[in-house]
Amino acid sequence: MTEQALKKPYPIADGDSQVYWDGIKDGKLMLQHCTDCGHVQYYQQRLCRLCQSDNLVHKQASGKGVIYSYSVVHRAPGPAFIKDVPYAVLLVTLAEGPRMISSLVGKDFEALDFDKPVTLQIVQISDDVYLPCFSLVS
Amino acid sequence: MNRTLRGKVAIVGVGQSPSGRVPGRSPLDLTADATLKALADAGMRKSEIDGVITGSSFASSFHRFSVALSEYLNIQPSFSNTLQVSGATAAAAVNTAAAAISAGLADTVLVACGDSLLTGMTPDLAIRAMTESRDQQYEMPFGIPVANTFAMTAHRHMKEFGTTPEQLAKVAVTFREHAARTPGAQKTAPITIDDVLNSKMVTTPYHKLDCSLISDGGVALILTSAEKAYDYAQDPIFILGGGEYYSHEHIFLMPELTQTGAVQSAQKAYDMAGVSATDMDVAGIYDCFTGTLLMMLEDLGFCKKGEAGPFVEAGEITYGGSIPTNTHGGMLSYAHPGIPAAWYHFAEVTKQLRHSCGERQVQGAELGLVHALGAGFSTQATTILGRESTL
Repeated sequence: MTEQALKKPYPIADGDSQVYWDGIKDGKLMLQHCTDCGHVQYYQQRLCRLCQSDNLVHKQASGKGVIYSYSVVHRAPGPAFIKDVPYAVLLVTLAEGPRMISSLVGKDFEALDFDKPVTLQIVQISDDVYLPCFSLVS
Repeated sequence: MNRTLRGKVAIVGVGQSPSGRVPGRSPLDLTADATLKALADAGMRKSEIDGVITGSSFASSFHRFSVALSEYLNIQPSFSNTLQVSGATAAAAVNTAAAAISAGLADTVLVACGDSLLTGMTPDLAIRAMTESRDQQYEMPFGIPVANTFAMTAHRHMKEFGTTPEQLAKVAVTFREHAARTPGAQKTAPITIDDVLNSKMVTTPYHKLDCSLISDGGVALILTSAEKAYDYAQDPIFILGGGEYYSHEHIFLMPELTQTGAVQSAQKAYDMAGVSATDMDVAGIYDCFTGTLLMMLEDLGFCKKGEAGPFVEAGEITYGGSIPTNTHGGMLSYAHPGIPAAWYHFAEVTKQLRHSCGERQVQGAELGLVHALGAGFSTQATTILGRESTL
């Protein structure tokens, strides 16, 4: 139990998300575009969440977004994150429309604010695990 | 065909195990203890229970908690359901029990839950258990505790409506005052707004005292048909309406952070009951965090969008205000054993409507609302309760 609690939750790709996580490893944030209704979605799944079409294509996102909301975590959610606190969790609205949960690269919390522009920065967190994080646009 | 729950089912028994810090008692034990007390409260024999609905329990290894509880109590029900819609489970369970009884699946349903989050698990594991309810691919890798999803909504509310940390803190201060009058409350020492603001930051904008407690405890409700409800010891408290709404799973797919599915959930319940928010005399509202309670006051219709801060500051959620809320002290001060937490809101509103709350009685309470929610506002469930006079 203790050993389990110390382990960080690394994303494990499934049939829906393999392309997405492969993209992240390649330094790209992929979004699904529906060729029938134009809906752009994050996260990945086999069907368009708006029209249920399966005519979806992956396109690389611009990596630009703005902060919709954020919270600086001071009390770690379990032992695995104790070394990381404090850190900022971001809810980012991507330029393409969808929102995603991410975290801030660095600890410049004073500079954080609503609607501030951020840019994608893919961060390697272990040998073969990469996460799409964001940094403030200076 | 007019399909409604209105007046068909009543709560006839309420029981609670000891709560707060209760070491050495398993979740099943706590739930069974509460059940025996609910039976005694109703003056009912155990053999009359033919349906069991529970939530699930973090500190218990049983996947089918309702089935395990039945065995623990030696009950063989003809209807059983272990419901899991996070914090909304209590109201969803009451609504489902009422539906099952009115549809003839069962006559008398035990709706119970218990957990030992405080002493049955370490605090870190308790938090981790809750955290693991977030998505493992798109949320958890970023270290987002469930508290953080609620924090981001409150933070956005502050940005859009000018809600202040002091207004959030006022919720915690008010419920601590309520808990001081409630036997068995976990935290009763008075606190001030400064105490809240000076308590340790957990996840901005929430300080420690903006967050609910971690507790042990079990609560049981017994529901039966309106026809049988008068056979028991207490004034029956009727289910007048129920509504639920499930708007999203991931926090990033919540349509707007400052308006929740509680709007739709409550509207359905009000419509079924034929009442509106202004008719309510007392409320039990899920208060996992101070800001959660503020947003619910707006979405349940007790004040306008964006005005919950001043509403709370003006004393509207306590005695003499427009909607005395969480008169037992809520999850912020009475108890928060996880999924069972909103069961206490049902226990309290039921006792208020029975007029059995002694010095914390809301005078003349006839109609009450319980609203439960969970998982970063993903799950919402509302129940409207009333005395016989409201039928």
